[in-house]
Amino acid sequence: MDAFLHAAMLMTTPILLAAIGGLVNRIGGLVNIGLESMMLAGALAAVVVSSETGGVLPALGAALIVGGAIGLVMSLIITRLAANEIIVGLGFNIAIAGLVRFWLKSAHGVSGTFNPPGVVMLRHFDLPGVDSIPALGAILSGQDVLTWFAWAMVPVTAFMLARTRLGLRLRATGAAETTVRAVGLSPLALRDASTAFAGAMAGLAGAHLSIGVVGLFNEGLTGGRGFVALAAFYFGRASPVRTALGALLFGFFDAAQIRLQGRGVPAELVQTLPYLIVIIVLVGLGLADRRRAKGAVL
Amino acid sequence: MTKTVETLLRIEDAALPFVIAVVIGALVLFATGYDPLDVYRLMIAEAFGGESRIASTLTAATPLLLMGLAAAVAFRAGVFNVGAEGCFYLGGLIAALIGYVLGAWPSPLIILSALVTAALVGGLWLYGPGVARARLGVDEVVSTLMLNFIAIAVTSWLVDGPLLARGSANSATPPIAPGAELPRFLPPSAVGLGLVISVVLVVLYGVWERRSVSGFQSNLVGLSPRFSRAVGIDVGSTYIRMMVLSGAIGGLAGAIHVLGLVHRFVAGFSPGYGFTGIAIALLGRNSALGVLLGALLFGALSSAGSTIQLFSNVPIEIVQILQGAVMIFAVAKFRTARGGEARA
Repeated sequence: MDAFLHAAMLMTTPILLAAIGGLVNRIGGLVNIGLESMMLAGALAAVVVSSETGGVLPALGAALIVGGAIGLVMSLIITRLAANEIIVGLGFNIAIAGLVRFWLKSAHGVSGTFNPPGVVMLRHFDLPGVDSIPALGAILSGQDVLTWFAWAMVPVTAFMLARTRLGLRLRATGAAETTVRAVGLSPLALRDASTAFAGAMAGLAGAHLSIGVVGLFNEGLTGGRGFVALAAFYFGRASPVRTALGALLFGFFDAAQIRLQGRGVPAELVQTLPYLIVIIVLVGLGLADRRRAKGAVL
Repeated sequence: MTKTVETLLRIEDAALPFVIAVVIGALVLFATGYDPLDVYRLMIAEAFGGESRIASTLTAATPLLLMGLAAAVAFRAGVFNVGAEGCFYLGGLIAALIGYVLGAWPSPLIILSALVTAALVGGLWLYGPGVARARLGVDEVVSTLMLNFIAIAVTSWLVDGPLLARGSANSATPPIAPGAELPRFLPPSAVGLGLVISVVLVVLYGVWERRSVSGFQSNLVGLSPRFSRAVGIDVGSTYIRMMVLSGAIGGLAGAIHVLGLVHRFVAGFSPGYGFTGIAIALLGRNSALGVLLGALLFGALSSAGSTIQLFSNVPIEIVQILQGAVMIFAVAKFRTARGGEARA
């Protein structure tokens, strides 16, 4: 049981990181379909820099910058050229995945997996005292910095959005663009910043998968987690806490499918759960809206 | 005079994304130490140089014609369906099963029942998101994107366990009966009935879109749902109809891919045809001619990509980079918006 809880926490981290980024982005008025590409690039950047420098911090920094830069470029195309965010996001997923594989083949002569020597992985820290408590020890102790960072970002994001000037401006950017422009701020710049933030968070999510979990890069490493993160922030709507719960739920599914497989439950079907839940949530919201609209008329 | 200017601007609109993609591809090639001109010259030769190369381009273009059409039909009515990919999988699987199980039937009968069933399954698959969009306002982009993942996972589960071919190590159905294979016109290439069906459907779409009342109405719904509602068009039903039609075409594409080329269903057998189809529809501005040219272009790209790796050491992924870049810039507006707020 403890091992399962620990695994579930580990699987939640990348989804949570990317989902918080996507949530902030969506509040700023942009649905980020390209998270998967930023995650993939972040994962590769972390492995490359970790093996070159032997340091974890530079690796995380590289993942953050690469993810953020891709996010910024994507955002500029969407906001400045009035391009459809969904198609641009899908295009980024295709182009970046191609670019990553192209570069691995042409620069390193490898296809699929890149495992350079000297990759330093994220350290796992045990919390003395906490680690011996059943269940709670498995959840809190023996985690890496990114896991703690991801969870710390939940209240931080909630506070930023609800209580700070920046949070208010960002919410206004998504909800009332003309008002933001009327008071002399640039909604597009705020939106770009939120996409760069989402990219940076997705980059860190990728780094967690590559130097936090497996210690190498593989082109299938992200395995649709960018879309699961999308599912998590659709599930969470505008709330960071609910988004975190969604990410946790999907992290549990991720950890559970490995165990359920041993008992004859097919992994493929467990993997569809996040996507099914999003559809159910969206239909539920639609039904609730309609009921409210009818109530208003009567 | 103004008409000529408008036509020129439209051509420019359609060509610019492709030009930008080619430039980006050239930069990537140059940065990694290849000569972009050499690579592009080789790609053109590999796509169009000689009968067998043209045949392979046409083979690659076949699923793209239908997937581009599936996207165009929906986009034109303002339904942003990205779920044709899932229909391709479901249609492919059901066609493979019919081609195997009904193997003893006369050939035209197997083929007809496989194609019709696949189209039905594809249409049914998108009926749900169509209704959810029309009646509850559920964002169809997200719902159909999610349904893609579900269709891909469910089909690969089915061929991994319940429907796995006996003695087969990889996740695939048994091969279809010889009678279920679509006739080929230029053996050994796979150019055949599938291509003919696809081209005919695209041409029919062109006639429907320009000459029929319902084609005009669905375009009107795409341009302005409020106006359409005001003049008495049932917008919700149009959304549902176009979504189902798009799904049916997607399912048919999967069936043709199985019966005409692969001859069995293999898990994960679409290299993202649905997304290429979206790029084609966007680039072709949802017109029949645009879909034809776009499918030919992307077909040429993929058939060239698969062989340049053999003759030079340029990784095949250059095609993916070009494809993604075309998609990104196909929706960008380079001239200041003329007050339109269309979603694509």
